[in-house]
Amino acid sequence: MDFVTLGGNLLGTISLGDIVLYVTPFSLFLFVVLLIFTLLIAISKTETQVEATFNKLGNTNVKVGLKEFKQRRFLSVICGIASAGAMITGDLFNFTLFMALIGILNIGIVSAVKQTSVLNSAYQYGLIAMMCSLPLFGGASIILASTGTLCLAILSQMHANPMVIFGAVLMLLGVIGESGVAPFFASKAEMFRTPGSPFIVIIHLSSLFIIVRAVEIFLLILW
Amino acid sequence: MRIGDIWNKLADPKNVPRIFAFCLGIILIVGFVVPMALNSDQLYVRPAPQDQIDAGLALAPYDRGGEVLKDPGFIKPQFPENAEQLGMITGYMSPLAQWISSISPYFGTSIYSSPGGLIDEILYYTRGFDTILESSILMMAFIIASWLTINYTMNRRNIEKNIKKDVEIAIVNSAKVAHEVNVNDEKARAKQLRRDN
Repeated sequence: MDFVTLGGNLLGTISLGDIVLYVTPFSLFLFVVLLIFTLLIAISKTETQVEATFNKLGNTNVKVGLKEFKQRRFLSVICGIASAGAMITGDLFNFTLFMALIGILNIGIVSAVKQTSVLNSAYQYGLIAMMCSLPLFGGASIILASTGTLCLAILSQMHANPMVIFGAVLMLLGVIGESGVAPFFASKAEMFRTPGSPFIVIIHLSSLFIIVRAVEIFLLILW
Repeated sequence: MRIGDIWNKLADPKNVPRIFAFCLGIILIVGFVVPMALNSDQLYVRPAPQDQIDAGLALAPYDRGGEVLKDPGFIKPQFPENAEQLGMITGYMSPLAQWISSISPYFGTSIYSSPGGLIDEILYYTRGFDTILESSILMMAFIIASWLTINYTMNRRNIEKNIKKDVEIAIVNSAKVAHEVNVNDEKARAKQLRRDN
């Protein structure tokens, strides 16, 4: 499928050697929205919560320490920028690298909570992220071997053969593993009820946007 | 099995990687029967390894020709118009590399002396953005690992909540011990009194 059908008219290209970024109204919209959200997250503060204590009358004020706050804000901002980059990239291997970066940042955000159960959950998520680097990069390399190119503009003009379809399925599994399952673990870790919530939203936001972008890329390759 | 049971099993973080690994395994097995048709028109081609070895070149199988800053070597990029100076430093070798290539026919196959222009130009010129991303992935991994190490593995004993809990447990334990000592004391005294009488 052509760019114009999916994303609207081509506004321009940014060429960095063999990696050419394409600016269409669709990708530009996703890029700008993600950057705005990243800005909001960068200037926001963590929530403070009051927890009832068992067997006692007192309440505890749950706060996030300055160090933990800084670490999580840093990782969230980088995650937002990486997701924005994945929105605008026009190269298959570049996209997989952005995916790997988002995956490892998601693990970092989940694991920056001082609770053993959350850390266990982050460990399980890390296992998936390790596993799915094989299908992610393997899928991209199978598509490269089959078509001889990684550029999405040229790939979109080609007809899909069974090998490309297999590579795309592998890549889909990799995208699911790196980003799609992240909300499972984030919500399992009860991150929304632990202090410092606004930074966790970037995990969900980036995985939503990544799925939209991945669908566009698969349509370009396969259709 | 009811669907509620399946949801409950899926809700355990332990089970998600197992299900994922199972799906991945099945798809990889399906990959054995998918017809593989390689495209011969690849990017960043290199000649067949044995060609250069049979020709007796010192840099085999990595010889790309070219003279530094004068004559570009042979590299085929996707968009030649975006990389006009490509291949200009492919032929570069350090003095040490030149010396080794003059005395050894196996220079090109040894990693320590790779005549690196080729690799460097693909990494830092035509696909430079990828290299930036790769190194930032590594950097983020190190940041997360070091932060976890400093804040949890080494420092877990100093968390204030844990200290308070430990102190409470210690107080309860010492009270128990004191009580036992008291009880034993009185028993011994009673024994002594009985003996004296």
